[in-house]
Amino acid sequence: MKLRFQITKEKEIRFISHLEYVRTLGRAIRRAKLPAAYSQGFNPHMKYSLASALGVGVVSYAEFMELELEEPMNPLEAATALAKALPRGIRVLGVDMVDNSAPALMSVAGGAEYQVTIPYTGEWEQAVEEFNAAKELFFEKAAPKSKKKVKTIDVKFFIPQISAMDLGDYLRLNFHCKITPTGSMKAVDLLNTLNQYWNLELPVEKADIERMDLYRVDEEGNKWPLLDSIYTHE
Amino acid sequence: MNKELTLDMLAAVKKPARYTGGEFGSIYKEKAEVRMALAFPDVYEVGMSYLGFKILYHLINKLDGIAAERVYAPWMDMEDSMRERGIVLTTLETKKALSECDVIGFTLQYELSYSNILNMLDLGGVPLRSAERGDDDPFVMVGGPCVFNPEPLAPFFDFALLGEGEEAVPEILEAYRAWKREGKPGGRQEFLHRVVKIHGVYVPSFYEVEYNEDNTVKAVKPLVEDAPAVVKKRIVEDMNSIDFPTAPIVPYGEIVHDRIMLEMFRGCSRGCRFCHAGMIYRPVRERKPEVLKELARKLVDNTGYEEISLVSLSTADYSCLNPFLDDMIEEFKDEKVSMSLPSLRIDSFCIDVANKVQTVRKSGLTFAPEAGSQRMRDVINKGVTEEDLMRAVGAAFANGWKKVKLYFMIGLPGERDEDVLAIADLARKVQWKYKEVTGQGGCQVTVSASSFVPKPYTAFQWVPQDTLEEIHRKQKLLVDALNFKNVKFQYHDGTTSVMEGVFARGDRRLGEVLYRAWKMGQRFDGWSDGFVYENWIKALEECGLDKEFYCNRVRGEQEVFPWEHLQPYVSRAFLANEYRKAQKEMLTPDCRLGKCNGCAVCQKMGVKIVDWSGNAYDASKEPNFVPLEQKLREEEEGGGK
Repeated sequence: MKLRFQITKEKEIRFISHLEYVRTLGRAIRRAKLPAAYSQGFNPHMKYSLASALGVGVVSYAEFMELELEEPMNPLEAATALAKALPRGIRVLGVDMVDNSAPALMSVAGGAEYQVTIPYTGEWEQAVEEFNAAKELFFEKAAPKSKKKVKTIDVKFFIPQISAMDLGDYLRLNFHCKITPTGSMKAVDLLNTLNQYWNLELPVEKADIERMDLYRVDEEGNKWPLLDSIYTHE
Repeated sequence: MNKELTLDMLAAVKKPARYTGGEFGSIYKEKAEVRMALAFPDVYEVGMSYLGFKILYHLINKLDGIAAERVYAPWMDMEDSMRERGIVLTTLETKKALSECDVIGFTLQYELSYSNILNMLDLGGVPLRSAERGDDDPFVMVGGPCVFNPEPLAPFFDFALLGEGEEAVPEILEAYRAWKREGKPGGRQEFLHRVVKIHGVYVPSFYEVEYNEDNTVKAVKPLVEDAPAVVKKRIVEDMNSIDFPTAPIVPYGEIVHDRIMLEMFRGCSRGCRFCHAGMIYRPVRERKPEVLKELARKLVDNTGYEEISLVSLSTADYSCLNPFLDDMIEEFKDEKVSMSLPSLRIDSFCIDVANKVQTVRKSGLTFAPEAGSQRMRDVINKGVTEEDLMRAVGAAFANGWKKVKLYFMIGLPGERDEDVLAIADLARKVQWKYKEVTGQGGCQVTVSASSFVPKPYTAFQWVPQDTLEEIHRKQKLLVDALNFKNVKFQYHDGTTSVMEGVFARGDRRLGEVLYRAWKMGQRFDGWSDGFVYENWIKALEECGLDKEFYCNRVRGEQEVFPWEHLQPYVSRAFLANEYRKAQKEMLTPDCRLGKCNGCAVCQKMGVKIVDWSGNAYDASKEPNFVPLEQKLREEEEGGGK
């Protein structure tokens, strides 16, 4: 059987890389003494994975980890044990149990919800209105691991709508971003798009980006939680 | 005081997790009467791998009301960003500026990290020179291996601790707490007079150095009554009774040694004549296997690490290594925890052990013959032979290893070109051995040759270091000689060895050189990104000093060294005799084999070798032996040390 956990990556550890986050979870599972399954062979690996990679610097309340167990364990007990073994900045928000044959979480996620808070006092109303009204907005994003190659994406395909709120010295943006089997787009590239089309001069490097949720989307476009049962630790 | 590393700063630097702390096992004491910063003068990944600070961090934090926090040198990108915005260097835990700490303890691991000490003090808002610090400024303390000659740093630190810190550091911090509680009576000077009474503590400002006309040291004299003429190192007699951290910090980012470090024993009495650590950490004191196993169990449970490194200066010399390894492997096999040994000696290399520890890939084995020719290996008392090496690599090849790394030094005393070229011969013979054993070619041999730097308190403390020209010439010889298939040759630029040599056997006058080089922008001199030789040479010139005086001069047999008031208690007569034996290519056996060689550490310190084989020489059976405890008591009763 497999356990699925909803966990966080909070402010304290926002700057650890995805790889470091994964390794940290592996060690926590070992400290918690969960009966994890290992691959066969000379160099056995613990069978666990994360649903999606998060950019360095992004806070998340919706990271999903899947762990295959060698022997069954009560999910609630597993969640409690894991919670005790986690460093500050990672909490367990939920747990669920599925068969080994269940599709990997990675392939299930269909969208993510973000909140961006950025120091900004300029005009933004028109940009947001025009963004929401636009049919398509092309943006050239840097392809990973290659600074020269760029890939053109339609931002509107991934992010149909944004909503914005004035917080005085800060501007807050809330939006949903589509995840497809071939990829998604980074929240920070939305800010770059706004700067490019409407000359907003948002200080992208100072943006506080938080992933609020990650969910499944059905054929009708309805959003469903990734875990069927939610257990809230604390 | 601006301390905040903002989102944009962190997002712009390499490896931002270096600066954010919060790792599993880190200890935050918001309220503390005394706060000590454990300052490592290099980047996070290097500093976090240092066992000494892991030990002290947990030991100090166990004390009620006293906090230990960590601080590392920010890499150049972050430093630039901090300076641009006027941000002060803080500890990782409660973000105290260095200037807000009570004590800052720097470890002296390597001479070329000294510029980072100045840089960190400056970034932390602490006046650089001890003479400039006021009653509200922290005390800057130093320790670690290079503390047996800290003289080049003398203007910058308030006091040093020689030797092992498990007992002495709490004593120092308690003395500080008492002084602080009393309202800091008598100011900084009074605290220094109090702390100097603790065994192992050295206060450089209490001493005056007199020089001869030829610039050598005439004498180092105490200026105050309570400063002892000679400061001796602290030592832990029984490794089983002292605290060893069982819940160390587990970092997020990958550090240099990202695994459990289980300290098997301290000291090494092989007696390699170039080796500083082999002299200053004497005598050998092993932990009991059952104690080690218990520590390992707790460490695995508390950290979640999958690898235990069995560390010491020469782990293959642990007296019951084989049964201990079997026991450990059995204990942890279900948890997929593997064992590793950081260093293997060729003569004690046993394919059985190698197979046990190398459970992952048969990627490569590292051996350190240290010198290419038998003559040179005898000069340095390495005590291994070409047959040992061939037997070891032959066994490794037969068991599936394909790659070997061989570690050598060039520039050893009395070295001739034929000795240098023998390194290439040895590499070739290793390749032939591979062919002989496997019937195939293609054995990858990596040859690493560093340039020898003579260190204080070794048999070679008198010898001239090779000049830069000579280092370069010998490197060129090897580059040409190693120009054959499947051999990789690694070596460092000789200029770093020159500056390491200057500071290793340097004196107090180098403090000004260090200051000027730092002013010119020197930092991270242990990294090729940071080291600028020309700046150091310029700084030496500006101070009227030259590198040849420190590096390339033959030191007289009677010459007084700048470090002799600081004693690891290896007798000078023993070292001089070892040097004479080196010139005659004579070997000195390990005293763990039964015979005392007269280094005098056991007798002078009142401690003995702790070795479970039962073969080692036991000084405590000598009729005149006075145990450490009694010595200390007598000294205290006699007033002063």
